[in-house]
This record gives sequence, structure tokens and C-alpha cells, in this order.
Amino acid sequence: MIRLDSISKRYGAYQALDNINLDVRDGEFLALLGPSGSGKTTLLRIVAGLAFPDHGSVLFNGEDVTDLKVAERKVGFVFQHYALFKHMTVADNIGFGLSVRKRRERPSKAAIRARAEELLDLVQLRGLGDRYPAQLSGGQRQRVALARALAVEPQLLLLDEPFGALDAQVRKELRRWLRHLHDQMGLTSIFVTHDQEEALELADRVVVMDHGVIEQIGTPEEVYMAPRSSFVSNFVGETNSLPVSVRDGQAHFFDRHIAIEAERMPDGPARLDFRPHDVTVGDEQPGCLPLLVTGVYRRGGDWRVEGEVTGVDRTIEVNLDARMPAPEVGKRLAIKVQRAKLFQLSEVKP
Amino acid sequence: MNGVLALSGRLQARHLLIGLMLAFIGLFLVLPLVSVFAEGLSKGFAAYGAALVQPDAQSAIKLTLLVAAISVPVNVVFGVMAAWAIAKFDFPGKSLLITFIDLPFSVSPVVAGLIYVLMFGMQGWLGPWLRDYDIQIIFAVPGIVLATIFVTFPFVARELIPLMAEQGRDDEEAALSLGASGFQTFLRVTLPNIRWGLLYGVLLCNARAMGEFGAVSVVSGHLRGLTNTMPLHVEILYNEYNFVAAFAVASLLALLALVTLVLKSIVEWRFDYQRGSVGH
Repeated sequence: MIRLDSISKRYGAYQALDNINLDVRDGEFLALLGPSGSGKTTLLRIVAGLAFPDHGSVLFNGEDVTDLKVAERKVGFVFQHYALFKHMTVADNIGFGLSVRKRRERPSKAAIRARAEELLDLVQLRGLGDRYPAQLSGGQRQRVALARALAVEPQLLLLDEPFGALDAQVRKELRRWLRHLHDQMGLTSIFVTHDQEEALELADRVVVMDHGVIEQIGTPEEVYMAPRSSFVSNFVGETNSLPVSVRDGQAHFFDRHIAIEAERMPDGPARLDFRPHDVTVGDEQPGCLPLLVTGVYRRGGDWRVEGEVTGVDRTIEVNLDARMPAPEVGKRLAIKVQRAKLFQLSEVKP
Repeated sequence: MNGVLALSGRLQARHLLIGLMLAFIGLFLVLPLVSVFAEGLSKGFAAYGAALVQPDAQSAIKLTLLVAAISVPVNVVFGVMAAWAIAKFDFPGKSLLITFIDLPFSVSPVVAGLIYVLMFGMQGWLGPWLRDYDIQIIFAVPGIVLATIFVTFPFVARELIPLMAEQGRDDEEAALSLGASGFQTFLRVTLPNIRWGLLYGVLLCNARAMGEFGAVSVVSGHLRGLTNTMPLHVEILYNEYNFVAAFAVASLLALLALVTLVLKSIVEWRFDYQRGSVGH
């Protein structure tokens, strides 16, 4: 088990990480999700031993490894831009970690080559051992990088935006394959991503980060369905936000009453976040929002309707069943919010 | 019709420009170079050969080779270290260090020589101390080596800094994460990545080390057979109106320049090729 205990890191005046506490369970596939500058890559590098915290400690299975260098931590690290050694063949790249061992621990050349071939099989690149990295596609290069990291049998696999440099189709294929490999080999993995779709699809648990702090830790289901802050609900999945005020356990959008549970909320300004698919079209009854339709297009089995609500700067986006006739642009729709989250405005970061 | 005229006009301008350029290069670069060889050989091959085997010429050639053999490796080591530090680490005073590395380029070589005289000369800061221990630096080989190292310092570092900065730290970090030591990482990952750039820097550094005149002239003392390098020897011969010998030795330096140029072109070609194949 990996434990991060009150990790802080500062670069000059910039607080990259602020008191991070996190446990990673054995066999877990954990995603660090956040926008750029959220500190997720710094945290990964601290786990790897490529960066060192100002405060706090890193524990691997109860053992304090905070001061150990990357070479001593037995972790596999995969870089966004692969970082393959371009003057070496694919097989030499994969065998590198074995070939730099001390003489008495080093396998023979033949054994290293055999191990490389084995790993090439594992990453489905059989027969490409004598190629050079420049002769491979992006997806193939990342597989080689993965095989190279796995060759030293790491206790932990760390991946820094591993699919970031690949095109959409390859990315999708490779990430499913990676999840499969993780399960098959019984690895413990942490990967960094800014792509919420990737995190939700792949990870057992998602750690949402922003401005050097953890906003929420949870399963993809929890993070999506029960965001703990407005930042999480906006960053994970699509969200519309309405400025509302709470009075006597009731949410009001200007003078209009919104039928959303607000019983435990104190009075005052708040933010109402709802997903595009959590709405229905109602009639002009109380509790509905008047949406002026500005655009309609098809998205799979839904109409994606873009519109304006008076008093909101951002375009409101909702999904409506495409079996219904498409709403007309320029018409007003009465939208009823079925499910939403309310956040007190003092909790909402600017 | 107008278009054709404009086109032929542009063609004429092109030919004119190329012609002027060739004439200029021929007049100011090729002709002098040819004349160096022509003058050297004007009394025949025997006189040319005699000028080169003459003892003072021989010692000048040996000294030049010795100076290059010391200063080039020293600058390779320090240049790689400086480039490594600047390209791969962040630390305060980094831009100041880059400025200092460029200093020898912006200071006149004569001033560079004078700095060493002020430091190590008899009347210099360290002069009395050196005299007490009977160490001679100025007007001796150590001074020439020091001055040459100073003048040629930027060549290797300047070549490597942008290259290493562009390559980033990923490769090194990957090697370290796979369990390699710092030295293994340098030898097996960094060095192959920079080899062509390094070779290019070494060539330029070597050419300058062998050809340096100003700084070496100040610290050498011009002792025949002892502290004369090839450029200094050429000057002495020329001042003595011994033109054949002067140009014979000069032709050796010119030959060095030509060899450097050819090697440089080959390295550049390999370098571009390697860079071209890097793309992600």
C-alpha cells in the first residue's frame, strides 16, 4: 500500500501541493485528475522520487521512502512523450533496466534479450525488437515504454498523461488495453490525466485535484453523481451553473422558485449545478426555467439544445430525447431541472 | 507580355546577385587561400618541405598540437558540465552563468591574454608566490594553454546548451527510474543524444585552439623553439621577410581549416539527419 502523509511542495511563491493525504490500495488503478497547474503531475513525481516534498512523507508498505531516489524505489514510470532512447533498438530499450544492474545481479545478454521478447509479446509487438523507436507509431512507442517500465518488475506503475500525445482512436484502444493489462498482471497503478472521460472510464478511484489540494476522492460513480464541490461537478462531466439564493430551505432563481431540495442549506447566495441530461421539458408551471433556444443539434440519441436563460452569462446546454420533435431555434422552452446539486457560494472558488 | 518581362527581370536579378556573391567570395576568400599555397610553393616543393622540417617550425607544430591536446579535452569536460547544469537544472544565477560562458566571445583575445599576465606575471597578483615556488606560467607553456582554454571555452558549451535544453530531462529521468546510476545515465543515454552536437563543438574548439593568435601572443613571450605556436611562428617568419617559410607554415594552418570545414559539413549533415528522425 502506498501512503502519502501531509505532502506539501512549493516552487518559489507558488504552492504546488498543499497538505496532500492519500492512500493507494494494492492492486488499485488510481487516477489523478485535474486541470493543468492542479499539482497532479508534481504529486506523481513525488511518488516516483523524481521530485521531493518540502513537508510530509511517502510510505511504501509502511516503509518511509521519502528520501529514496527514483532508482531505489522500484517504480515504473511512463512519460507522456514516451522518452524512449532513440539510439537503441526496441529490444535494447526494454532490456535497459536489466542491463544497468550491478554485475552480479545482471542477467546474461541472452537472458535480457529473452525477457525483452517476452515483454514484446505481452504488449503485442512481437517481432519488432530490432526496430528503432523512430520507426514505430505513437501507440507502439507507448507500448514499448510500458514494456520497458515493466521489465524491472516494479511494485508500482506510474503513468504521466500516458495517452496525451496519441490521437483519439488509438487513445481509446490503448487505454482499454492498459486497464486489461493492469488487471491481468495484478499491478498497482497511478495515472495522471486532465481528461475526465479517461479517468471515469479507467480508474477504480479518481482523485480530483485543483490548485494543489484534493477536492474529492471517490469511485467514478461517486465523483460524477455526488460531487463534493462545484469545482468537481464542473470539471467532471458537463455541468450548467445557475446563481440562486436560498431562503427558508427553498432555492430561488431571481424570483422564480426552483423545485430542488435545499432543506439543510443555510440562507444566502448559492450555486445550482445540474447536468444537461437531468432536465425534462415541462409546461409553464412553477419551478420551470424559460430557455430561449439558440441552437439544436443531434448528439447520438439526444437533441443537444443550447440556449439562454435571462440572468446567466454562460450558454445553458441540455439534452432532450431525440424521439421527440426537435425544438425550434428562437422558441422558448420550459425546462424543469430534475436533479441538481446546490453549493453554498462561500464554498465556491472563483 | 508584362509578366514575361517581370519574370525575366527577376531572373536577371537572381543571376546578378549570385554572380556578385561568387565574385565576392572568390576575391576575398578563395583567392587569398590559393595565394597562401601558391606563395608557400613558389620556390618549389623542396623549399616548402625544408621550411616545415626546420627545427623551430617543428617545435611550433608540436607546441600547437600539445596546446590543442590539452585545451580541447579540458573544454569538452567543462563544456559538457556547464551545458548539463544549465540545460537540466533550475538554479538562481543561471542566466548570469550563461553570460559568463559567453564572455570569451565578447572580450578581445588580447585582453584575455593580459588578464593572465596580470594574474600570473612577475608583477601580477600571484607572481611573487609563483616565483617563490619556481613555477613559471607566463612566457611558458602553461600560460599558452590557459589563454587558449579561456578563448575556446564557449565553443562546446554554446553548442550543447540549446541542444540539451531542447531534449529535456525525460530520457535521463526514464533511465534513472529504471535503476541506472548517474554515470550510467550520462554514458548510455545523454552522451549518445548529444554526440553530434558535441563533435561539432569539438571541431570548432580545436580549430580555434590551433589558430588562436592574440591571447597566445601576449602570454607566450615569443621564445623561438620554446613558446612559439604555429600562428606566432608564421608572424615571426613573415616579419623576417622569409615569405616562403611563412606561407609554408601558414598553408598547414589553412589546410587544418579546410579539413575542419569538411568534417564540420559531414557532422552537420549527420546532425540534421539525426534531428530530423527524432520527431514524435
